[in-house]
Amino acid sequence: MNVQTRIRRWPWVAIVLAITVAFVLSMVSPKDDVQGELVRIMYIHVPAAWLAYVAFFVTFLGSLTYLLTKNLKWDRIAAASAEIGVFFTGLTLALGMIWGKSTWGVWWTWDARLTLTAIMFFVYLGYLALRRTTDDPISRASRASVLGVLGAVQIPIVHFSVVWWRTLHQPPSLVRPDGPAIQESLMLVALIVGVLAFTVVYVSAMVKRIELIHLEDRRIEIEHSIDRPVAGDSVVVPELGAKT
Amino acid sequence: MTTGFWHQVEAVVHRDLLRERRRGDVLWVTIPFGALALLLVPLAIGTDASMLRDIGVGMYWVIVMLFGVLVAVGKASRETLPQQDASSLLGLDPAAGFVGRTMSSAILLLAFEAVVGVVAVGLYNIEIIGVGWLVLTLFIVAIGLALLGTLTAGIVNSTSTGIALVPLLVAPLSVPLLLGATQSYDGLRYGNAIISWVSMMMAVVIVVSMIGVLTARPLQES
Repeated sequence: MNVQTRIRRWPWVAIVLAITVAFVLSMVSPKDDVQGELVRIMYIHVPAAWLAYVAFFVTFLGSLTYLLTKNLKWDRIAAASAEIGVFFTGLTLALGMIWGKSTWGVWWTWDARLTLTAIMFFVYLGYLALRRTTDDPISRASRASVLGVLGAVQIPIVHFSVVWWRTLHQPPSLVRPDGPAIQESLMLVALIVGVLAFTVVYVSAMVKRIELIHLEDRRIEIEHSIDRPVAGDSVVVPELGAKT
Repeated sequence: MTTGFWHQVEAVVHRDLLRERRRGDVLWVTIPFGALALLLVPLAIGTDASMLRDIGVGMYWVIVMLFGVLVAVGKASRETLPQQDASSLLGLDPAAGFVGRTMSSAILLLAFEAVVGVVAVGLYNIEIIGVGWLVLTLFIVAIGLALLGTLTAGIVNSTSTGIALVPLLVAPLSVPLLLGATQSYDGLRYGNAIISWVSMMMAVVIVVSMIGVLTARPLQES
């Protein structure tokens, strides 16, 4: 196996390793006194939500940097991160609904955190829809970057919604002024390892997706630069004195 | 066009309002449609007077948000690519163009809010409390929606999907305005402080106007 193949495979190896460790830890961690086995959803729900914030923040940074530098590399980073962020937000919402049905008795409740997360999901779906409206990488990057910066306004509102409003959703589990809300050390370790594993998944997916977007841009560039036959090419100019 | 920034803004506002006076899209289409929507809601959910009074303000703001997008969409569809090129060749500062288009949209949205507001008060028997705060909220929402509409219309301009994408982009981004407006009214109704809600709406207006002015040139060049 040559070095290039090894480098290409490292994201997959890292993903499998990280997810395996996180899965084992989440299974061996104790069940909750109140929620029982259901608490294990937390080991996917919380890391997915956390990575969604990270992904959209990276989209904001990539978009802002593109607007300042006009380097398409930053737009590709923003785009890749938004796609992964939308996936993680969708996962967060779906798992949250399953968790909600079991604990609150309803799939959906008009809670500030839930509703604002769903709205953030639609903002970034709009971002992805906007990117599909034009093939020109520069035009696409300029338009999407403005929306990438604008959309970031939602991130702190979603995160702090559980602090600003009285909500059914619990306050932050890990990042709190008075320390993590989880007292059981193995549960806390499992959750932190879960966040790290999802971060590995995020970084690996980013590397692959950026590479893919770069290749897509190259394909479009090549398609546009090929010396294509134009109308009238098939018409041969008659030569003077030629025998018919 | 070698005049100063505010003269250019004034020219754009004048042009947009003149265009609206000639076509009457907001006056003859959007406003009646908004009023009709307010009339249709009770037919679908019931005509209990106390319930309608309770939900009236919320319904009013939802109609303002959704139909406010139509004002922005209408303006975006009227600005053709040759017209934009002509404005650029005349030396129109893109930031002045953005501010001018936003101001004209805000004026039209204020007119929409006023007429539909009268209809909502009449149909839903809404209690008017804190006139000063109410007027301030109407102004902030009109400016905020106009900013979001103008900015997103600029983003999608001359793309393949074009203006069809504007509602999907504006509606979720206008949620802080919707929350601020409805919660302000509830605050006034129950005697709570509303300064935090007004501040949130003001923050949205400031952030979006900064983004709009700073990105006007790159968007035009794209």
